[in-house]
Amino acid sequence: MRRLLGVLVALALVAGVAVVVWRTCCAGSGVAPPVSMVTLHGVIGSEKSDFFRDADVQKALRAKGLVVDTASAGSLEMSDQSLSGDDFAFPASSVVANDIRGLNPVPVRPFYSPLVIVARQSTAKLLLDNQLASESSSGVWTFRMGAYLADLQHSVTWESLSGAANDPALRGLIFVTTTDPASSSSGALHLAVMSYLANGGKVVSDQAGVNLTAPLLRHLTEIQGAQLPSTDGPFRNFVSGVGNPLVWVYESQVAAEASKGTLPPDTVLLYPDTTFLSDHTLVELTPAASALAVALRDDPKLQNLEARLGFRPSGDPTAFGRAMATVKTKGFAPDLSQAGVAQVAIPATSVMRQLVVAAEGTG
Amino acid sequence: MQRTRRGLVGVLALVLAAVAGCDSPSPKPAPGPTGAGAASATATATSSGSGAGSGAAMTLRVLAGSELQDMQPILDDARKATGVSVKFTYTGTLDGADTVTSGKADGSYDALWFASNRYLRLDPAGGAKLLSETPVMVSPVAVGVRSSELAALGWDPAQVTWSQIGQAVAAQKLTFGMTDPSRSNSGLSALVGLASAFSGAQSALTQGDIAKASPALQQFFSGQKLTSGSSGWLAQAYQRAAQGGSGVQVGALVNYESVLLELNRTLPAASQLTVIRPTDGVVSANYPLTLLSSATQPAKDAFQRLTAYLLRDDVQRRISDVTERRPVAAGVAPGAGLGTDVRPELAFPGSRAVADALLSAYQNQLRRPSRTVYVLDTSGSMAGARLTALQAALTQLTGTGGSGAVVPFRDREQVTLISFADGVKWEHTHDVPDQAPDAALAAIRSDVQSLSADGGTAIYSTLEEAYRVVAQQQAAAQDDRFTSIVLMTDGESNEGDSAAQFAAFYKALPPSGQAVPVFPILFGEGAKPQLQGIADTTGGQLFDGVSGDLGSVFEEIRGYQ
Repeated sequence: MRRLLGVLVALALVAGVAVVVWRTCCAGSGVAPPVSMVTLHGVIGSEKSDFFRDADVQKALRAKGLVVDTASAGSLEMSDQSLSGDDFAFPASSVVANDIRGLNPVPVRPFYSPLVIVARQSTAKLLLDNQLASESSSGVWTFRMGAYLADLQHSVTWESLSGAANDPALRGLIFVTTTDPASSSSGALHLAVMSYLANGGKVVSDQAGVNLTAPLLRHLTEIQGAQLPSTDGPFRNFVSGVGNPLVWVYESQVAAEASKGTLPPDTVLLYPDTTFLSDHTLVELTPAASALAVALRDDPKLQNLEARLGFRPSGDPTAFGRAMATVKTKGFAPDLSQAGVAQVAIPATSVMRQLVVAAEGTG
Repeated sequence: MQRTRRGLVGVLALVLAAVAGCDSPSPKPAPGPTGAGAASATATATSSGSGAGSGAAMTLRVLAGSELQDMQPILDDARKATGVSVKFTYTGTLDGADTVTSGKADGSYDALWFASNRYLRLDPAGGAKLLSETPVMVSPVAVGVRSSELAALGWDPAQVTWSQIGQAVAAQKLTFGMTDPSRSNSGLSALVGLASAFSGAQSALTQGDIAKASPALQQFFSGQKLTSGSSGWLAQAYQRAAQGGSGVQVGALVNYESVLLELNRTLPAASQLTVIRPTDGVVSANYPLTLLSSATQPAKDAFQRLTAYLLRDDVQRRISDVTERRPVAAGVAPGAGLGTDVRPELAFPGSRAVADALLSAYQNQLRRPSRTVYVLDTSGSMAGARLTALQAALTQLTGTGGSGAVVPFRDREQVTLISFADGVKWEHTHDVPDQAPDAALAAIRSDVQSLSADGGTAIYSTLEEAYRVVAQQQAAAQDDRFTSIVLMTDGESNEGDSAAQFAAFYKALPPSGQAVPVFPILFGEGAKPQLQGIADTTGGQLFDGVSGDLGSVFEEIRGYQ
């Protein structure tokens, strides 16, 4: 053990790698079994901070010899910020991950989560009555993105919907609140989906497409006013009952809150009929991170925890449905394709940046 | 980037500690914020081990709005449950934003706690300093109407719109007090709500909406009889007047719902306030506990422990009971006095340009103009650095700010400067016009430069003269302005009238005179008891120019003028 310690310390010092190994006796915890532990430092999207903070997740990782120390950052900030000293980056999508140079040419994607919309029951009912949403026989709700786009283009207000008078909390333009697309991938992915729809159902791939969709994207930003930098913000506002009636979030956030039993009881989850599946991608920056990627992808205990905390493990397609069957909130789709959710491809990174610039009006 | 660098240093420290031998008790704590010395090794060895629940003793240094004082009982319990103590440093929302944006908060504070981070986030440099934020409680900006006036207005408090309130004010049936939106978040939120409602905006405000709302806003603000730089002072001023003390009586207060309800606990029955949350929309504060990017790892852990505690269901309920703010945790019922019917939440402007345009319109066109008298001590002791500081502080108010925390002299403001020592040396009045104000501002600057120091100190007699000047100006103009006197002195009154004589003089003033508060600034060897007495007599407030920068004090007072 001493020799392993020495080798790894030398490696850490020479390579500047932030890996620490120490005997449990030195770590000051008397009860833990004498397993050698590796501490990994990484930057993650804020939507995964609850996952890494969870005591059971930490326990399952420790059983694999891993202690994981994370800091949150907006996913799009990761490609900009220096990741020196970190063992891994774990953004919310492969789009962002492609911009970060990792050791592994095809990084592991341990789990994924679709982008969805949350609303209160009364709001969802109004959407249903006005053909903006539908509800399946199994209680899964779908949000009609095409109809929404048409309403946006005609500046339709809540007050003009039939039956709106019953809900005094709904007024003004109908729009979905997102995060700031310049710093957060969920906001940027919303732009990607909307640009796809506005571009006639084609992924924007050139300047002509950017020019065509830019006015809509700018409008989407302007009507929202102040936007928050990461997905936790708008979702917290929704849970606490302030903010816009429709909020663009990761399904995982809603599912995690539902697992904890702290979701407002009248929350309705709406699956957009056209959306993006956020494929959480672990970019290995040092060799030590490989063990974490493999554990998150393959370890059954971790897969079940991922599902309980709201994600859809790529290694176990039924885990999410099993986990959500036990929560009080209904309406989680066990199978996304059965729920009629179509996924769009995402524009190339350079085009994506142009779309964000167009939306921000800074170009 | 700093984070990762520090992370690496910390890791190397651990490596070295590990190399030092297996018998070494534990790695040394990394250098951290106040109290880090008390942090045990477990807090620094790994960050991930600590979720909610108890943990190492740690002090979190938090730059906060003064209204967070009411959280103390909850924070005392939090310390027992989590080991995390909170050390508050209080400042205004907008001054706090400046501290963060300028980088002065880095390394001095670990976290922020204000009513809202919206204003801070309008500046990308400010937003970049924040790592994460967790809303802890919610309070909408509401209108508290004196219950005794409610019947005459014929309102059902659950069914009132901003336009109805505007109409009542326009018809002179209602007067109100509100904080200065350039200085305080409650005023800024109210202004956003009013502009949205009066312009009929269907989404976030634009510059066009502001122009559209201007006539209705101007009419509305004709009923604003009380202004202040902070929500707390506004509540105190209402309370003082309600209890028969000095100051202006108003029919309503625009303030956080929580401030209004807390105020009701101490108000006599006749001046109780009924909280109206207008049905066409509110702007709410969500009190985000906010971690600064510059915070150390132990501080980050402490932050997580504290937020997890504050979001516990039982704690959320207690917060609502103690502070009259609304819980953010789903399923936790708000305190007994809080209405549960929902209101639309109005969008906050998304760009600095729109926010600044709104503030500039408020200061220069929409609000009632002000009449401001500066009573300036230029006795012998002011010579040198003191006089220079005074000149710099006043000169900065003749700049072309109009945004952020600095509110220079406004268009339509009447500014009188009185230079005094053992008697009045000179008094000059300047009217800042709403078109081409530069010449008037230059004339003020020139007066300020001409100040020179010699002679004794006759504070009370000069104040009496200032009240006479105000009375003459009121009589000559026959107008209705926000009127106030600033007294800046570095000494004790040793000539002319006594405190008792001044008090008698003030009591003999007509109501229009008694409505004028004096804001004394303590400077140099200023006699604090004398100055506090003047503030108490006239319904003003004492400001401290000794421990802080005189320029910031003059800025802060702008919120009350």
